[in-house]
Formats: sequence, C-alpha cells, structure tokens
Amino acid sequence: MSLDYILTLITFSNIFSILTLSLNILVGYAGQVSLGHAAFFGIGAYTSAILAAKFGVGYWWTLLASVLISGIVGLLLGLPSLRVKHDFLVLATIGINFVVVSMFKYIDFFGGPYGIVGIPMAKIFGKELSTPGFSLYTSLWLVAVILFDMYLNRVYARYGFEAVKENEKAAESIGVSVPLFKIYAFTISGAIAGLAGNLWTYQMGMVFPDDFSFSVSISILTMLVLGGMGTTSGPVFGAYTLTFLPEALRFIQDYRMLLYGSIIVLVMMYQPSGLLGKNGILRKLFKR
Amino acid sequence: MQDVVNALVLGSIYVLISVGLTLVYGILKILHIAHAGIYTLGAFLGLMFYHMTGSFWVSLLLSIFLTGIAGIGVYRYFYRKVLGESRIVPLVISIGLFIVMQDLYRLVWGPYRQPFAVNFGINDIRINGVVITQHQIVILIITAVSLILVYLVMNHTKLGLAMRACAEDMAIAGTLGVDVERTISMAFFLGSALAALAGILVGVYENNVYPTMGEVPSYKSFVVIVLGGFGSLYGAVLAGFILAFAETLLVAWKGFVLPRDAIAFLVMIAVLMIKPEGLFRRATR
Amino acid sequence: MRKLGFLLLLVGVLSFATIKVGLFVPLTGIGADDGLSALHGAQLAVEYINSHGGVLGDKINLLYYDDQTDPKQAVTLAYKMVQRDRVIAVISGSYSGPTRAAASIYQRLRTPMIAAYAVHPDITKAGDYIFRVGTLATVQGRAGAHLAVEKLGAKKIAILTMDNDFGVSLAKAFKSEAEKLGAKIVYEAKFSVEEKDFRTVLSEIKKKNPDVIYATGYYFNASKIVTQAKELGIYQTIIGQEGYDSPLFIQLSKNHAANGTVITTDLDRDSEKPVVKWFIKEYEEKYGRPADMVAASTFDAVMILKKAIEIAGKVDKSAIKKAMLKVKGEDFVTGFKRFTSFREAVREVVCQVVLNDSFHRLCKIDDPSITTPTR
Repeated sequence: MSLDYILTLITFSNIFSILTLSLNILVGYAGQVSLGHAAFFGIGAYTSAILAAKFGVGYWWTLLASVLISGIVGLLLGLPSLRVKHDFLVLATIGINFVVVSMFKYIDFFGGPYGIVGIPMAKIFGKELSTPGFSLYTSLWLVAVILFDMYLNRVYARYGFEAVKENEKAAESIGVSVPLFKIYAFTISGAIAGLAGNLWTYQMGMVFPDDFSFSVSISILTMLVLGGMGTTSGPVFGAYTLTFLPEALRFIQDYRMLLYGSIIVLVMMYQPSGLLGKNGILRKLFKR
Repeated sequence: MQDVVNALVLGSIYVLISVGLTLVYGILKILHIAHAGIYTLGAFLGLMFYHMTGSFWVSLLLSIFLTGIAGIGVYRYFYRKVLGESRIVPLVISIGLFIVMQDLYRLVWGPYRQPFAVNFGINDIRINGVVITQHQIVILIITAVSLILVYLVMNHTKLGLAMRACAEDMAIAGTLGVDVERTISMAFFLGSALAALAGILVGVYENNVYPTMGEVPSYKSFVVIVLGGFGSLYGAVLAGFILAFAETLLVAWKGFVLPRDAIAFLVMIAVLMIKPEGLFRRATR
Repeated sequence: MRKLGFLLLLVGVLSFATIKVGLFVPLTGIGADDGLSALHGAQLAVEYINSHGGVLGDKINLLYYDDQTDPKQAVTLAYKMVQRDRVIAVISGSYSGPTRAAASIYQRLRTPMIAAYAVHPDITKAGDYIFRVGTLATVQGRAGAHLAVEKLGAKKIAILTMDNDFGVSLAKAFKSEAEKLGAKIVYEAKFSVEEKDFRTVLSEIKKKNPDVIYATGYYFNASKIVTQAKELGIYQTIIGQEGYDSPLFIQLSKNHAANGTVITTDLDRDSEKPVVKWFIKEYEEKYGRPADMVAASTFDAVMILKKAIEIAGKVDKSAIKKAMLKVKGEDFVTGFKRFTSFREAVREVVCQVVLNDSFHRLCKIDDPSITTPTR
C-alpha cells in the first residue's frame, strides 16, 4: 500500500519531465531562453479543467483541446520572440507568466482565486484511473514525448534549431528560415506543455492560479539546466532528481531548502553543462 | 497630488534597487536574481545593528558596508568561475543562491516579520491635504544624495571610468591597463551597497523586515532595467520613476482589474514590442 | 548506568502505545511564519493532552512535515503519512491550495483530516472525512456586516478586497449582508496580497467619506492600511477579521495606528476559561511571542481530535470520523461549539478592538442566524 507514495512521486516526476522536455525544445534546441514556461503549462491545465468541470467534456477531448490551445498560444507568443532577443526575451517571458496567472486570478470565468475544483477522475477506455493506473498512464506519455524528442533531435529540424541557436546570421545564409524555426519551437513546446497541463489537472483533480506561478517556471528551468539541456536524457533526469530530492531530504527537516538550493548552486558551478550534458559527469560514467 | 508623492517615493525605491543591479548587469551581463537576496540581507543587517547600536545612521553605514562585502563574495566565489559558460548557467546559480539566502535568513532571524520602527524626529509635511511623512522625506533625500554620489563616482573618478570601460568591452579595458578584477568587485560592492540601502529604507518605510521580502524585487527590478535598456544607468533611473507613475496611476484608475505586478509587466511587454531594446538604449560610444 | 537508562527508555517506549497524528505545515518559503505558529499551536496541544493523561490512556505522537505551501508536496505527504507512517488522523496547518488538494486524497484514503485555518469554501466538500475548525469566510463576512451596521451604526461603507480566496469570500459575504441590513456600499477596490501602497485607494475612499471601512487582508496588509489611513487623516473605524489577528498587526503599524481597529475573530484574549489562560500564558513563555489566531486554531484542531477519539472510544478512523460530529464543548481556546452536518464549525464570533496597543473584547456575536455556516 505504501507504494502509492512512490507512485505519486513518479507521476509528478513524469509530468515535470514532459514539461522540462518541452522547455528543452525551446531552450536547448532553439536557444530561446524562457522563464515563463509555467504559463503554457497553466493554459493547458486550465483548458482541461474548464472543459471537464464546467462543460462535462470527456477526457480525450480535453486532452486534444489542451494540446491545441497551448500550441496556438505558443505560436502567438512566439511571434514577439522574432523582435525581442536575449535577456529582453527572458524578461518578456517572465512578464507573460505574470499576466497569464493574474488573468486566472482576476477573471471569474477562470474561477478566480478559488481555482477550479471538482474535476472528475480521468476515464480512459471506460475505466477510472487510480493512483497506479494514472502513474502508468503518465509514464506512457513520457515515453511518447521522449521518442518524439529523439525524433526531433535526429531529423532535419534539429539541424535548423541548432543553427538558429548557434548563429542566426549563419543559419540564414545556409537557407534556414530563422523566424520559421523559432515559431516551430514555440508552437511544439507550447503544445507539449499543454499535454503536461492536462495530466496535472487530472492528477490533482483541481487547478489553482498559483500552481503556475513564476516560481514554477524557475523550477522547470532549473530541472532542465541541472540535467543538461540539449539532450533527451538530461531533462528527464533533472525533473526526476528535483522532484525526489525534497522528499529524500526530509530527514534533515529544517535544513532541507538550504541543502536543496546548495545542491543546485554546486552542480551548476562544477557541472555547468548539466549532469547529463556534454561534459556532464554522469554522461561520462554511462559512456564507460 | 498625493499620487505624485507616493509615486515619487515608490520610484525612489525602484531606482535604488535597479541602479545597483544595472551596475552589475552592465559589466557582467548576468541576470543577477540573487540581488534581491542581497537587498534582504541589507535590511536584516540594518535591523540587527539598529537593535545593537540604537543609532539608525550607524547601522545604515555598517549594513551597507558589510552587504557590499557580501556582494563581492557572491562574485568571487560563485560567478567568477562560470563567466565563460553559457549565460543560463550564472542565471541558475543566481536562482539557487537566492533560495539558499532566503532560507539562511529564516534560520538565523526566524520566519516572522519584524518591525523596524525608526523615528527620525522630523514632522510630517502637510500641504492642502497632501501628506509627506517623515519616512518619505528621508527616502527622497537619501535617494537624491545617493544618485548624486553614483553620478560623481561614475563620471569623475578613475573607478567610474574603469567601470564604464569594462561595461563597453572587458577585454579591451583589460589591455588598456584597467584592473578588471578589481573593477568588477567594486561594481558588485557598489551595487550591493545600494541594494542594502534600498532594503533598509523599505524596511523602515514598511516597518517590516522578513526573509522573503526579496520575492517581489527579484523580478520587479528587472522590469525597471529592461525598460531602462539593460545596462544604462540614466535609463534605469528614468524607467524606475516612469514605472512607479504608471503603476500608481493605473491602480488609481478604477476599473483596471489587474494587480500592480501584472501592470508593470504589461507596460514592459508593450514597450518591448515597440522598442525591442528598451526605452533608453545604451548609447554606444 | 547509562545502559540501564537506555533500557528503561526502550521499555517505556514499548509499553506505551502511542496514537500517531500527522500535521502538514509550511515551514519554509512564503508561508513559513504561519506554519511555525501552527506547528507550535499543535505541539502545545499535544503537550497539554499528554500531560493531562493522554487519550484513552495513550499518548499522542505528533508527526509533522513541511509542505512549502506546495499542493504537490501536500498530496505526496498525504500518501506518506497515511500509508507509511500510518497516522490515525491528520491536521492541516497549511493554506488553502495544499489543504484542498490533500483533502481529496485523505478522503480517498478514508483518513479524517481537520483543516485548522485554511479558508477555501470547497475544502469540506471533498467528503465526509474532512472537517474545518476555522470560521468559514461567509460566516465571518456576515458577522462583520452585523458589527458594522448594527453595532457601529454604519450607513455608508467602503470595502477593500484582497485578491485571494480569503479576501474575495469575505468581501462577498460582507457586501450582501450589509446591503440586506440597509447599508450602502459607496466604494469598492481590489488589491493584491503583495500590495504595500494603499494611499491611492485610501485617497479615493476619503473623498467618498464612508462611515466605516471594511478591509479584508492579513495582518501585514492591515498594518499598512491603518498606518496609511491615519497618515491621510482618515479617522473612520476600520473593520477587519481574523487575518488581522496577530500581535504583529499592532507591532507593524506605525504611530500606534492600529488603535481603534475593530476585528471579528476566534480567539478571545480576555476569556476567563482556564484552557485559554493556560494557552496564552504557556505559548508566550515557550515560544517567546504572543499567540495568534493561527496557533489557537491549530491548537483547537488537535483538541477536537482528542475529544473525538475519546467519544469514539477506540482508535479507529471511521469511528473517529463519526464521533467528530458529536464533539461539543467548552474547553477550547477558540469559540468552537460543534460541527454542522457538512463538517463546518459552528462557533461564536468574537469582536475585538485594539486599545492601547493590545486586543480587547468588544462584543460577542452569538446569533445562530449569523454564526451557523451555510452552503
């Protein structure tokens, strides 16, 4: 029975792995640093929540809607990135995060500060998923996203993304359309974050505005960089580590956050490309 | 009229935090989120020394000095090692540092809000129903004095020249005989000292100091320096006041439903759409 | 010698079965101050119970965990506490988000949970295992309206609403009740929890010249509201609620501006009840600061649980759940009386006024039409 504790942690890790992988497409492949990724996560989660709780829409339709709407919003919000660059873009994405969360809070349609409660459990193939079931279900999605990420990593898209990341002018000169690739990255990234949002909604059975605040964006980015951006295994490893770490550190009680923060700082100082990044210590270990 | 006074005071605080951040950003181009942790440290040290010495001005100076040293420490022990890495690395280190700092303050000084009651012994000014409280007067004066000091340092000292040279191009500045290391350290010292000053003034003005008081400034100060054009001191000063006025007026305008922070970010995004490099682009010389 | 002591200790531990009670509170991050108060309140209650003979002859063992105000961690902890630690019941000393999220899990795992001070109206709707000690915001808003209109005779009222669930529910309940009683709402504004500058809205309020101002918020918002109101020369009574109920409200207000503020709350500091006196004295001695509403509510949550176990007569989750509805009594720190059938607290609301920089009883609101929670 005490398995549910671990399974719940695995479910959360899966959701955050998917989120971190989606951010990886933006940051790791296209080089567009975003500190507002929780906005897309939130848009996906709220889409499912509103459809399920207010309109009684079935699970698969909410999933589809979350992915589509988050993708479209990603596309729209990707447009400014064509104009705004570097640190200005980082700040613009933080701004988007704040505006989105205050809209959830201040517009009654989104439930206001109460959030949206009373979302029925996900019914998949006519069966309500319990804790182990949902954990398995999210794992399947994680595998799917990993496969998709590896595909992106291999095919030509990678080519374009990498070129955009390294040098926009050079990319243009070899015939890669930089604006198009940025928009692709924002759209795909948004859509996958929307999937994570859908999973979150059904895991929690409710959504609150603060679940998608700036601090969540910060955690996602930290997971990505700690694991190693630009890789497929890194984001998953980062998400799992930073989800399990606070639980694993419970025995030190009062010094938990202190140690958590210190670990982030130390890893970044001594493993700047991430634990599973290009020169990461774990990558070398596995290669051997 | 009351709104103008309020906006001026709010703007002064924004400016103090942001000018310090701009000094650091101008040279290293690091998104130094831990600046808000430094700001909190300044407030706590100020309060601690105030309890010990009983003199506001002594504790102000002590805190500013020690916080400045702490700022140098942040650079030397944490940022220096990773300057050659991708820019996202120092950003994440900064985030981690901010988490560590906030939790350290909680462990040392406790999680509760602490009053920081200082009476300067001046009277509130009242003209036609508009009030300027003693704390507001002190904030306005201290901000004015510090901005003049920063101006003098930047434009009339060797250090200022070195800092401006480093901000333009660190490698060239180095070949021209500027002690780059020392200059960066001094930028951190000055920037952190200004943050400490802001922390203490906010602590006294709001009459409270607590471990998570840096939460809002951690992003708000960036809005100011983005509007100011990332790295421009004049820009940061002007943007601080503009933002304070915009927020105050929009909050007062009934029917505007978003909170202050969202307003600030909306203003910022709108400006970036029109001028992608901020209101006041740094003059390239 | 030392060995012997250890052996004795071991025997001691083994011979007394303990009743495991879980507690989740924010001990790091934004809510760390309220979390610590809640933890202290619960620890004090456990100490009180254990030094007064325990429950059914057994001692209570309090297991507490930090949830960092994060619903994710609260949910994970629910599984951990119920399945690993095998607690018999859980107290929430946390905020609305984590409490609401965890409530569904406790309901699913059939473990009684008592929310100490979380305000989200839907918490108890999670199911029949979920209870709340704190006053429902709708009750408190109603009580505030009676205080304003009937006791203070207000006709024109201005409302300041904090933009979270607490502020919004209070303001909604207050407004409809005040209008029903014939008062006119002349001004309304919303502010964010982080807001520090109320001068702009207060200047607007001054122009409308209301009889009283009903301002929702926590003590740290409130201290700024009263300070800035006095600065601007607003001398009308400001009415607050349990969010103000912290010694810090008075300390953080400048120039003694808190004086004259009237609040509706749970903790009656002038009470003659021995348990209240013991609590107030012991809390201050032990933790070096006066008790606040959060600590008192969490203290009571544990006391109520103890009563329920005694009524149930056995340490059994389902029996405790049923017994909870039978808990009645006088020896609680707050004015808790009983639970309604939908597991919300019925209590008397205490109105307190700040005089000479401390809280004092002004009146009690005991009319069942006001104090009985409604859905």
